[in-house]
Amino acid sequence: MATLTLDALRKTYPNGFTALHGIDLAIDDGELIVVVGPSGCGKSTLLRMLAGLESISDGELAIDGQRVNDLEPAERDIAMVFQNYALYPHMSVADNMGYALKNRGVPKDERRRKVEETARLIGLEELLDRRPRQLSGGQRQRVAMGRAIVREPKVFLFDEPLSNLDAKLRVQMRIEIRRLQKRLGVTAVYVTHDQVEAMTLADRLVVMNGGHIEQVGTPMHLYERPASRFVAGFIGSPAMNFLDARCTGDTLTLPCGTRIAAPSSHDANDHAVCLGIRPEHLSRVAEADDTTLTTRVELVEPLGADTLAHVRLDGQDDPLVARLDGVQPVAEGDRLYLRPDASRLHLFDLENGRRLDDKDAHSCPSSPSSRLA
Amino acid sequence: MRYRRPGLDIASHALLILALLAFCLPVWLAFTAATHDQASLYTGTAPLWFGDQGLDNFRAVLSEPVSRLGTDVTRLLLNSTVMALGIACGKIFIAILAAYAIVFFRFPLRRLCFWLIFITLMLPVEVRIMPTYKIAADLNLLNSYAGLILPLIASATATFLFRQFYLTVPPELLEAARVDGAGPWRFLKDILLPLSTTNIAALFVIMFLYGWNQYLWPLLITTESDYMTIMVSLKRLLSSADNLVPWQAVMATALLAMLPPVAVIVLMQRYFVKGLVDAEK
Repeated sequence: MATLTLDALRKTYPNGFTALHGIDLAIDDGELIVVVGPSGCGKSTLLRMLAGLESISDGELAIDGQRVNDLEPAERDIAMVFQNYALYPHMSVADNMGYALKNRGVPKDERRRKVEETARLIGLEELLDRRPRQLSGGQRQRVAMGRAIVREPKVFLFDEPLSNLDAKLRVQMRIEIRRLQKRLGVTAVYVTHDQVEAMTLADRLVVMNGGHIEQVGTPMHLYERPASRFVAGFIGSPAMNFLDARCTGDTLTLPCGTRIAAPSSHDANDHAVCLGIRPEHLSRVAEADDTTLTTRVELVEPLGADTLAHVRLDGQDDPLVARLDGVQPVAEGDRLYLRPDASRLHLFDLENGRRLDDKDAHSCPSSPSSRLA
Repeated sequence: MRYRRPGLDIASHALLILALLAFCLPVWLAFTAATHDQASLYTGTAPLWFGDQGLDNFRAVLSEPVSRLGTDVTRLLLNSTVMALGIACGKIFIAILAAYAIVFFRFPLRRLCFWLIFITLMLPVEVRIMPTYKIAADLNLLNSYAGLILPLIASATATFLFRQFYLTVPPELLEAARVDGAGPWRFLKDILLPLSTTNIAALFVIMFLYGWNQYLWPLLITTESDYMTIMVSLKRLLSSADNLVPWQAVMATALLAMLPPVAVIVLMQRYFVKGLVDAEK
C-alpha cells in the first residue's frame, strides 16, 4: 500500500555513460505499472534503482512521500522477484520464504504461520520442505513470488519474472500475477521486454527508449494513440506498418498513387509524413480502387483465428503485414488488395517521429488522476 | 565407451595389483618390523612376518618417553594434531574472509590486493624463512603452539580457490539477500558458507595434510620436546651418530604418524571428492 514518486531520476555510471536521463513518474497506490522497452533502454536499471540495488545519481525517489534515495534495499520495504528467481539453493522453500522475516526478527511461530498462509495463497503447501533444485521452473517462480508476498511489502518489483518459463506457463503465471496483485492491492512495478505481457498486465504502461520515457498511459491508450513512431512500433503485435506519404489538405497520397482521407486535426499540411497502419486495420477487398493498396503476397502465416499475410507493395519494396480474419485463401505470389481503415491511421513526423495528428498525445497522462479526469 | 577385451582386462588388473603391492609393501614391512625387538631387526634381513612383541612396541612409544626424544609419542601426536588443525582451520577462516572481501566489496586497490595475495602463491615458505623466524623470535613465539601455527596460517591457494567459487555465485543471490534484509555478515553466514561446505571440506583435507607434514618450520621453532611435532621427532629418532637406530620404535611411530591423516581422509573423503568434482551448487 504505497505511492511511488520518481522525480527526475538520473543514472550516470562512473565511466560517464548515462543510462537514465531524468525519469518522472507518479505511481498510484495499488497500481501495476509495467515498464517496457528494448534491451538497453534502461528499464532494468530503473527497477534496480527503485530497489536500492543501484545508486541514484540525481533526482529524488519517494515512497509514500518519503525520500528513500539513500536507504538500503531492506529499509525501503520493497520486495523483488528476479528473472532467474535467485532462490537460496541450500534452503527449503519455507526457509526461502521466511528468510526476510527471520532477518527482521519475526518470532519463529509467527514466521511459520505467515509462510504457511502465503503458501496456501499461491498453492505451495505441499512443497514447503523441498529444495529449489527439486522444483520445476514454474514452481520456483511461484516460490520467488511467495518470498515477495510473505513480507507484505509496500511495493513489488518484478524484473522480467516470466522470461525463463515456457510459453504456456508464462501465460498462466501472467494471469496469476495479475490476480494476486489485485487481490493483495500492492503497488507493483513490472519490467519486461515482452509487449504482450506488458499489455495484459498493466494498469499503466511506461514505454522507455534510450534512457527516456517515450510515453506513459493505459495499454489501450498507447495502442490507439501512440505518441511517437517508436511507441507505435513497439506496442502491438505484429508491429505497425510504416509507409512514406504526402499530406495535402485532408488527403494522404502514397507514392503508389493510393489516396486516403487524412485524420482530422493534424498540422502536417503539404508535408512528407510517416503513415502508420496496424496490420489489423488493413482489410482485404476484392477490387482495386484508388483507396486500396495493391500488394503481392510473400508469406502466409495461418494462426487459426486469423491469418497474417506478409506482403510487398506493388512498385515499392516496402514490406507490409496484414492481419486478415479467419482462414484466408491466399498463397504466396497472389495479388492482394488491402484497404486501410481511414479512421485508425497514425501520422508521424518524418524527422523526430512525434505523432502529428493528435496534440493530446504529447502531453501524456503522467499521473493516474489526470488519467481518470 | 569401454573396451571389452579379456587381454586388456588381465593386463590392467595385473598392473593395478602390482601398483597396490608397491604401495602396501613398505607399510607391511613397517608393521611387521614394529612387532619385533631391536635385536632381531639387526640380523640383516627385513622380517616379512610378525615378531614376538605383539603391540608392545606401540604401547611403549605411546606411554613411555622415547629415548633421545624426551617425551612420549602421545604428546607428539597431540602437538602435530594441534598444529595441523590450527593451520587447516586458520587457513580456511582467513581465506574465506579474504576472498569474501575481494569478491563482494568494492574498495580502493581491490585488484592490487588480490594480485599481492596471488603473487605470494609463488613464494614457498623456505624463501621467507629467515625473516619469519626473526619475527617469531621477536614476538616470543618460539616453543609455542602459536609459533607453530601463526606463520603458516595465511594461504594464497585457499584464498584463490574461494575467490573462484564466490565468482560463480550468481549476483542475484546477493541482491535477493540484500532485499531480504541480510547485511554482509548475514549473507556470509546464511548464504555463502552453507553453499561452500564442500569446498571447505576439500580444503580442510588438503590443508590438514599440509600442516601435518610440515618439517622445516617446526624444526626451527621448537627446541623443547613438549612442542615437538611427530614428523620432526621421526627424523630425530633416525639420526643417531653413536647408537643403534631403534627400528622397532621408529616403525611404530611412523605407523602412528600415519593414522590421523588417514582418519581425516576417510572421514572427509565423501565431501572431498564431491568438492573436487561436483560443479553443482
